[in-house]
Amino acid sequence: MTRRAGRWAAALGVLVVLMLLSVALGAVRLSPADTVRALLGRGDPTVITIVRVLRMPRMALAVLLGAGLGISGASLQGVMRNPLAEPYLLGVSGGAAVGAVIAVSLGAAAGLVPIAAFLGAIAAVSVAFLVAQAAPGRGDSRVLLMAGVIVGAFANAAIMLLLANADADTVRGALWWMMGSVGDAAWGQVGWLALYVSVGGGLLVAWAREIDILALGEDAAAGLGLDADRAARRVYLVASLVAAATVAAAGLVGFVGLVVPHIARRMGAGGHRAVILGSAVIGAALVVAADLIARVALPPAELPLGAVTAIIGVPFFLVQLRRLR
Amino acid sequence: MIAFERVVVRYRGADRDAVHDVSLEARRGRMTAIVGPNGSGKSTLVRVLLGRQPLVSGRVLLDDRDLRTLSRTDVARRVAVVTQREELAFPPPVREYLALGRFPHRGARRAGAAADRDAMERAVALAAVRPLLDRTVDTLSGGEWQRVRIARALVQGGDALVLDEPTTYLDIAHEMEAFELLAQLAHDGMAVLLVSHQLNLVARFAQHLVLLHGGRVAASGTPDDVMRGEVLERVYGWPLVVTRDPAVGAPALVPLRGRPRAAPPYTHRPSDP
Amino acid sequence: MAAPVARRAVVPALRTSCPNQGCLFLRLRAALAVAPFVFAACSRPAHQPARAHAPVIDVDDFGDTLRAPAVPPARIVSLNPTTTEIVFAIGAGARLAGRSQWDSWPDSARRVPSLGAAVRPNVEAVLAARPDLVLLYASADDRPAAARLRQAGIPVAAWRIDRIDDFRRAVRDLGALLGDSARAATVVDSVDRTLARVRAATASLPRVSVFMPTWENPVIAIGGGSFLDELITIAGGRNIYADLAAPSPTVALEDVVRRDPDVVITSPDGRARILADPLWRGLRAVRAGRVYAYDTTVVGRPSVVLGAAAVSIARLLHPGILP
Repeated sequence: MTRRAGRWAAALGVLVVLMLLSVALGAVRLSPADTVRALLGRGDPTVITIVRVLRMPRMALAVLLGAGLGISGASLQGVMRNPLAEPYLLGVSGGAAVGAVIAVSLGAAAGLVPIAAFLGAIAAVSVAFLVAQAAPGRGDSRVLLMAGVIVGAFANAAIMLLLANADADTVRGALWWMMGSVGDAAWGQVGWLALYVSVGGGLLVAWAREIDILALGEDAAAGLGLDADRAARRVYLVASLVAAATVAAAGLVGFVGLVVPHIARRMGAGGHRAVILGSAVIGAALVVAADLIARVALPPAELPLGAVTAIIGVPFFLVQLRRLR
Repeated sequence: MIAFERVVVRYRGADRDAVHDVSLEARRGRMTAIVGPNGSGKSTLVRVLLGRQPLVSGRVLLDDRDLRTLSRTDVARRVAVVTQREELAFPPPVREYLALGRFPHRGARRAGAAADRDAMERAVALAAVRPLLDRTVDTLSGGEWQRVRIARALVQGGDALVLDEPTTYLDIAHEMEAFELLAQLAHDGMAVLLVSHQLNLVARFAQHLVLLHGGRVAASGTPDDVMRGEVLERVYGWPLVVTRDPAVGAPALVPLRGRPRAAPPYTHRPSDP
Repeated sequence: MAAPVARRAVVPALRTSCPNQGCLFLRLRAALAVAPFVFAACSRPAHQPARAHAPVIDVDDFGDTLRAPAVPPARIVSLNPTTTEIVFAIGAGARLAGRSQWDSWPDSARRVPSLGAAVRPNVEAVLAARPDLVLLYASADDRPAAARLRQAGIPVAAWRIDRIDDFRRAVRDLGALLGDSARAATVVDSVDRTLARVRAATASLPRVSVFMPTWENPVIAIGGGSFLDELITIAGGRNIYADLAAPSPTVALEDVVRRDPDVVITSPDGRARILADPLWRGLRAVRAGRVYAYDTTVVGRPSVVLGAAAVSIARLLHPGILP
């Protein structure tokens, strides 16, 4: 096995181990034997509930969340030719947050908040696209970047307005949502995120070669027969939709989409097909690890997932910066 | 192979044509060069070929087929373009970079894999980049990078090679290397069309020159036809003479000193030699 | 149910005309996104506790039906300071298997194991305590946890106690749930008697206008929706913000100055901050030195100490009235 393949096998192994640990560890101490029995549906019903109803869907959601963010981040970095691009770039996080805060402040049922967040994200990305179309040099990724920043700033203002005169419950609910969590994971949610991540991820992997070509610049891409505008636009759309789906499912979890593609590249992934797939694996591992830490660091309190991913992500990023020539 | 027929291009919001009534031909087996001062429309013609700039009137033919009737992929299979600059945010190894050149041939016939390998081999041999294959593109020198870019264009497998200012950032040795490679390719049957402001080099290597001025063709023909003092002076707006160096056997342009300008007063400082 | 409402909102949105393909594509994706979550939101938990024949006590603030248990619960988890205190008052304190980290009254509550946060509780930890009844604060954040626990077959009751009537109802419901309605009735009676006593003592006295801030930056006042507003009235005062329906509305200091309260009552920390801040000297009450700190051991929670809280506030407003 080549060294590169060996590294990736190890990465997959690490992911599997983390997934097992995620089910075995938690606020309540369970023996490995109990955990295995519970997985098989035997033994103490409370333990079965803890393992199968609470921990398993949570672990599955974390895997999908990390994979989705990794895939989205890797695609966006490639298509924008920018190592600092990340999944929330085109206003996804701002729009989703506005949607969620509106839902929370209107006292909407818990099941409607993810929908509101998803719709908010889509609305924000659409607005960013419209704003970018209005400017000259539309295809330019920098214009899109700026449009995303504008939409994000607007969204932040909207959130501040909404929260300024809201009652304590709304503020707390909104803040908690924005900090990210896989705590409310249920199999229905997992199923839908799986659909978005697999379909979106599948499309992005299929377009990976186009992303490689886009990386050469728009003129060179045209010279190789690629309609750069169209190719780039559909990557933005699908990558943002995957990101929006992750935000709807679990709130805002930062850093993952930014850092994971760099790790994948460091591990030797070459073309974007490898980077995207590799980012899925590493992203999943990162989020599962972060959720595990969030649960076992200070039991029974739970740290916000977004905070833990940032805490783990920052040192990785610093190492990256030091290695830049 | 590539023919521009009475092409007119105007940028959005401009008050005059970028290219007006330009006709030129780049045939197989020879090197054709488009020259002219900045803003004369040279790069615009390349953008038209890339499909990035629409025509107001006129047409472009690739082997007698109108460009507009061909898909971008079809065009890419026949014509390879080396643009002025490329900056890769995530520099790949040369081997993978070259493989990108096969993109226009993807999904065609599945027998593609063998054709891909052959095209790569041929390009690597022609451009002499084998020793560079395992290096990442950001570790290459200017000259090596240019050869690699030309190699990638060759991997595309077409009959025509179009280059926009290919030697701008290269030193003498690498410039000569590049031009010799291009001359060899032209000699071997490709249609090489290049845009350059290196008049003297172009005069030595190209068989056909087209001089643009203000979007119009000011002169076209062999280097001897085009490299004439009066024409060049008018087009470039600078006093110059055209000489002929016997060692080289091609006309060469030598710019003269401009009108003497009032020089700023020079005061001798103690630290000056 | 969420589905019809969501569908009614989504379908008209889809019908408005779309200018281009991309827009249509987006809207289709949006609709696809809505549907599954709607179904998920509508799904009922697979496992309903088999208590279909038990008498109904009440409907709690999450809209769930509370039924009398066949056997009084022996392991209660209460994640709300108010309900913990009530459980102790009803005499079932020994049956508490877990509390939230904020539940510190009465003192003996501290001996009950803490299971962490009251809002967004750690369901795993709650499950590990093997409760047969869980008491929650009815905020939107707690709905997922309530749903999870019910799915696991554990009865959950959630109340949001803003007014004194809410307190009476919660005590009665809890009494029925714990199997000791008589004791619960005594608790309510005791509180009511004290409140009546205070009301009678202050009935004929001139009303003192009261401003009760719970925070100074921004200024958050007690409004008409809070039990504290009711206590102020019972204690012979008039809450200057009784006209605002919310329990804790944010107000502007200027407006407080305009309403010109006779007295400011707040927590000891709040009092210190107000006295130290020159901005507050705009209030006549502050200049006259009539800024009082309430007794935090009894004032501030809508629990069994409501009677004592009324007494404490009355003593501040009308010194000497209640020995």
